[in-house]
Amino acid sequence: MAEPIVATGLGAISALGHDMAETWDAVLAGRSGIEPTLFDPGPRGPPPVTTAAALVKGDGIGALEAALGRRVGSSLDPFAAYALKAAHEALGQAGLLGQPLGARAAVVMGNGIGGMHTLEKAYDKFFGVRVGKIHPLTIPRVMVSAPVSAVAMEFGVTGPVFATSSACASAGHAIAQGASLIAGGLADVAVVGGSEAMASPGGIRSWEGLQATSETTCRPFSAGRDGMIVGDGAGALVLERLSHAEARGARVIAEYCGAGLTSDAFHLTQPSLDGAIAAMRQACAPGGFLEADQVLISAHGTGTPLNDKNEAAAIRTAFGERALRHPVIATKSAHGHVIGATAALQAVIALRAIEEGLAPPILNYLGPDEECAGIDLVLGEPRKISARKLLVNAFAFGGLNVSLAFRR
Amino acid sequence: MAGHEEELIDIIAEEALIDRSKLVPSATLEDIGLDSVDLVSAVFAIEEKYGVEIAEDAFARTDTLGDVLAKLEALIEAKKD
Repeated sequence: MAEPIVATGLGAISALGHDMAETWDAVLAGRSGIEPTLFDPGPRGPPPVTTAAALVKGDGIGALEAALGRRVGSSLDPFAAYALKAAHEALGQAGLLGQPLGARAAVVMGNGIGGMHTLEKAYDKFFGVRVGKIHPLTIPRVMVSAPVSAVAMEFGVTGPVFATSSACASAGHAIAQGASLIAGGLADVAVVGGSEAMASPGGIRSWEGLQATSETTCRPFSAGRDGMIVGDGAGALVLERLSHAEARGARVIAEYCGAGLTSDAFHLTQPSLDGAIAAMRQACAPGGFLEADQVLISAHGTGTPLNDKNEAAAIRTAFGERALRHPVIATKSAHGHVIGATAALQAVIALRAIEEGLAPPILNYLGPDEECAGIDLVLGEPRKISARKLLVNAFAFGGLNVSLAFRR
Repeated sequence: MAGHEEELIDIIAEEALIDRSKLVPSATLEDIGLDSVDLVSAVFAIEEKYGVEIAEDAFARTDTLGDVLAKLEALIEAKKD
């Protein structure tokens, strides 16, 4: 039997706070990071618009600089800075800061689109002001692998380092890949997760153009839900071989039990029931989750009419008559949809939930929707739970599905 | 070297993330640890601030920070004329 892979560190930055403690306090208190936000395209663009969004509050780059004890200035796009901040926190909890991690360590982190803010600023100069020169660091700031390179350089990781990109499933694929590197013998420890910062003036308009966003707020599985809210931030986990963790005397947070990775091969923006069911069943198989007394389910729960209807049906079908045993949380109602980072941010919050035995409530719920019936939504107040098993869902545009399984 | 030396040093310190106290005119670029990527970032910011265009080979024969500052000063002054 393969050696267990365990999580020993967690990190987060989002509209809920700059670290895990602030994030956890916010979700337990029922505080949402969603608020009306002014997006100003600048003097050459259309008039500014105010849109609901869930952006990192205060000085996120400053928080990174304080954590690292040095300046990073404008060398990193926010999506890379957030990844580095979350990775630093996760490695700190794992007790792995202070010495280069070396060739037996890996970094795999996902994002959906790369350095949107940097690209937009460069294009504003180029196409708007019509300045012929683009900032010389535009490419290294924009590239989707900028976050993993920044993490590798900061912590001396010389083993496998790469980014995954699968829209809203990016961090889910990253976590699964990091675990596969350990299982396959290419690494003993992996920093995994994802980051995103695509709520630029043009980015937010692009989401609105898709008519996927809500004008008010994110109401997962609720009657009257009308769309998602774009957020930014990052989540990171340290995964390692159990013997590696034990040899270091590291505290084990949870065991990673496996992933379900499927593709709908169906539609660019619409979900399919079969793909979601298959991903959940695949993830549940190694740990016997389908037969478990209670599994905490961190739903993708975007608040769009279609996703939540489809996901509720997928949970009902995958778990059958046992579906109502399992509490369902949907933390996007607090931290917004952080796109390529979502599986990681959901995972670190939900891992705290099974650690504390407390499930944070779904916010902004207006009342039941028949299309989302037959699953046990955690509403109102934080709920005491006995679940020691956790399933995290992330379902992406283009029909890319990830479910991740953990247990304590 | 009338007006701009302090401002130029501020921009280089900011863009290259170098401790300002190291940025004395007599220091060589190597001593300062100013690599080519740092320099092009600083040059880009200086171009933006002063509306000057700085050729890619402008610093080909510069050794010290003072040499770089003199070149930049000359470009800024020329722009005024």
